[in-house]
Amino acid sequence: MSNRPALGGLALAVGLLVLVPLAALVGTALDIGAADLAAGLGSTGGPVLNTVVTGVAGTLVAVVAGSAFAVLTERVDFAGRRLLRVMMLVGLIVPGYVSGIAWLNAYGPAGISDRALGVQLPGLQGPLGISLVLGAEAAPLVFLLVAAGLATRAEPDLERAARASGASAWTAFRTISLPLLAPVIGGATAIAFVLSVTAFGAPAVLGIPAGFGTMTTRIYRDLSFAADPLAFGRAITLAVLLAVAASVVAALAGWLLAPARARRSGVPGGPSAVAVPRMGSGRLATAVVAALAWALVLLAVIVPLVALVLTALTRAVGLPPTPDNWTLANFNTVLDTHAWAAFGNSLVLGALAAGGAVLLAVLGLVAVRGRARGVAAALVGLSFAIPGSTLAAAVLIAYGPLLRDTLVIILVAYLAKFWVLAFRPLSAALEALAADFGRAARASGADALTAARTIILPLLWPSLAASAVLVFMFALHELTMSSLLYGPTSATLAVVVLNLQQLGDPTQTAALAVLVTLLVALVSLPLAGRLGAFASARWRG
Amino acid sequence: MSDQSQSSPVLDCRGVSVAYDGTPVVDRVDLGIGAGETLALLGPSGSGKTTMLYAIAGFLPLSAGELWLAGRRVATRDGGEPPERRPVAMVFQHYGLWPHLDALETVAYPLRRAQISGNEARRQARGYLEQMHVDHLANRRPAELSGGEQQRVGLARALARRPAVYLLDEPTAHLDTALKAELQDELARRRSVERAAAIIATHDVDEALALADRVALLRAGRIVQSGTPTEVYERPVDEWAARLTGPASFIERDGRRLMVRPDWVMPGGDLHVTVEAVRYRGSHTDYTLAAGNDRLLARWPGPPRHEVGARISVGLTSTYRLPPSDDR
Repeated sequence: MSNRPALGGLALAVGLLVLVPLAALVGTALDIGAADLAAGLGSTGGPVLNTVVTGVAGTLVAVVAGSAFAVLTERVDFAGRRLLRVMMLVGLIVPGYVSGIAWLNAYGPAGISDRALGVQLPGLQGPLGISLVLGAEAAPLVFLLVAAGLATRAEPDLERAARASGASAWTAFRTISLPLLAPVIGGATAIAFVLSVTAFGAPAVLGIPAGFGTMTTRIYRDLSFAADPLAFGRAITLAVLLAVAASVVAALAGWLLAPARARRSGVPGGPSAVAVPRMGSGRLATAVVAALAWALVLLAVIVPLVALVLTALTRAVGLPPTPDNWTLANFNTVLDTHAWAAFGNSLVLGALAAGGAVLLAVLGLVAVRGRARGVAAALVGLSFAIPGSTLAAAVLIAYGPLLRDTLVIILVAYLAKFWVLAFRPLSAALEALAADFGRAARASGADALTAARTIILPLLWPSLAASAVLVFMFALHELTMSSLLYGPTSATLAVVVLNLQQLGDPTQTAALAVLVTLLVALVSLPLAGRLGAFASARWRG
Repeated sequence: MSDQSQSSPVLDCRGVSVAYDGTPVVDRVDLGIGAGETLALLGPSGSGKTTMLYAIAGFLPLSAGELWLAGRRVATRDGGEPPERRPVAMVFQHYGLWPHLDALETVAYPLRRAQISGNEARRQARGYLEQMHVDHLANRRPAELSGGEQQRVGLARALARRPAVYLLDEPTAHLDTALKAELQDELARRRSVERAAAIIATHDVDEALALADRVALLRAGRIVQSGTPTEVYERPVDEWAARLTGPASFIERDGRRLMVRPDWVMPGGDLHVTVEAVRYRGSHTDYTLAAGNDRLLARWPGPPRHEVGARISVGLTSTYRLPPSDDR
């Protein structure tokens, strides 16, 4: 059953936002011709290798840290457990390029560790630093996935049953929880890998100044700064290669994390208790592990953010970040000289993307039902799975001649990428509504439109609002596509932060990075409750 | 029987308290169980039954008191032995079967933890599955088993542990009526074979009265009464206990509050009542009878014998005077 005008609108939107850009990209790749592509490939060995290295290392960091934190907060009782969980989720809010800048201010040359202790992190501007920041960025997602797995696939009672059968805590974990979690950890690994290889912020901030290029930063340089056709061919080659690699690994993640793979024994039950009884030696071990976890969060999240804020507050480069050198002038200067326009651009783009994505999602839901809706969801999800660098290149090829340097071309990219962020939750919310609600309204005398307006819409309202906020947040976050598509008057806040950083103005960069992060945090506040509720619901099992 | 269990209890809870985030969920519980004895922990949901079992098994720390198992002190408020070193086995409310292991490997699991080699563990596991009449399901995983079958595998796993005390958490709560009766018979049969003690946490009074040597009533984490099934049925300590242990009506006589069980009301007698409601139950019929302001419940065998509104005479074979209580 479908609604014809809506179906036409949906087809038009999918065509314009997803199919036309992808067709343009593929067409261009074919146009360039095999010989030139091969030549392009020959010169991309460095970035590809670099991407694999930082991708694998970042994934390793994310999976080890994220899984360990999940087991710790879900299974071990210690003071500050809840706060630790919240701190993990802070990492989801801070954009990658801000993390990179924050780490530079904490552990880079003239960073606070350098000032206070004379210690720098060697190799921060290069593969090591990029890997660490990518790992810190992807760890929260691994954490959420594994924590959810611990609550739904390896419920505490299964571990308790092993303990009551004579297994030690370690044996129970090894023989019961670990095998049950294996697909989740595998899926989380694949997702962390996709995030790491397609990331642009951290490699741009930490790699470009040091001359260390990854696939995404090379695409950025080739498309934004290079004029020769060889560079263009190389960028297209890299963009296609990145998309193929990311799609294959993302498909693997989807298969591993499919709900059907969650083999459940029964309804989780019992008090939301901790499986590990507090004991003499156990208490000491617990304290040591908790201290280690807090130290890690301190070093990876808290110290960099504090360093960033201190730099933003310090009067001039080179002065120690002590209270007598504090000033708010940096914020004024950066806004006045660079950022008011970008501020406006970001807000307008965010609002239009949020509204547009929700409208498109509603259009999709009205247009198709059942199996057809699944197909629509897959198409909409396709452009989300495609790395930002590739999608932006595709949009640039398709609409560049017409819309180059306008806000509209950035909006097209945002809508293509973030549509699914509204479509998925709204589709799920709609499916969760009992079909009888609508039927009861119709049986009470309402026509279809009245039923939708008086019954369905009020019930969907929270999901509509949450989806809009989510898209707005992602739009504020966005750097990869914006940096490829902006023009003289259409720079976003994220782009200005990157440009300031590349120009080498630490205090103004820090000031604007703080502002962007505060803005994102503010916008995500309404979602934070949901996220927390989600996490604690999982936790309570 | 309860009087054989005194000398040295297999399980001894002395003033045991368990708290979540400072709120006591189990509050100063004293409990002793002798060898071969079955105790039912009867209480509504949220009364602390599962918490009590978890504390005994070692999944939760005590906030006060001491826990003794088989003559050994296994837990105090300062800590205790981990679950794997306590001589207990547990049957979980939602079965707690591991999704990645088949029935045979599940039952072999505790045997392997006891350092029995793989083949021997599997051979013995098959024996335990046989005892529970599910050996034909040895190669099935939980997803391929019905609720009743899962529960039998869970029981077989507990048997394989050869514990001093079995902990059964709502063993039949999720089974339909026929399976429930079947499993209760099974538990009763096992009880006569096993010398091990057992605690059954349940909210089902029929189960408690049918299976236990002794019943302890749990309210908000405290034990309000403990006695034989007939004691708690016939002589509850207060009105709450009376309602928990079965249908009861309460009447005022000479300023005293008396409890009457439905089976204590007989047709024919000097009490004139009006039939207010009739509920046919198949094997018997329940009547609500009005005598002035009092309401009496009666349960007589067979189909309904009286219409609503009929005036009949009944007699009471027994009444029980509730002890005075302060929280009524």
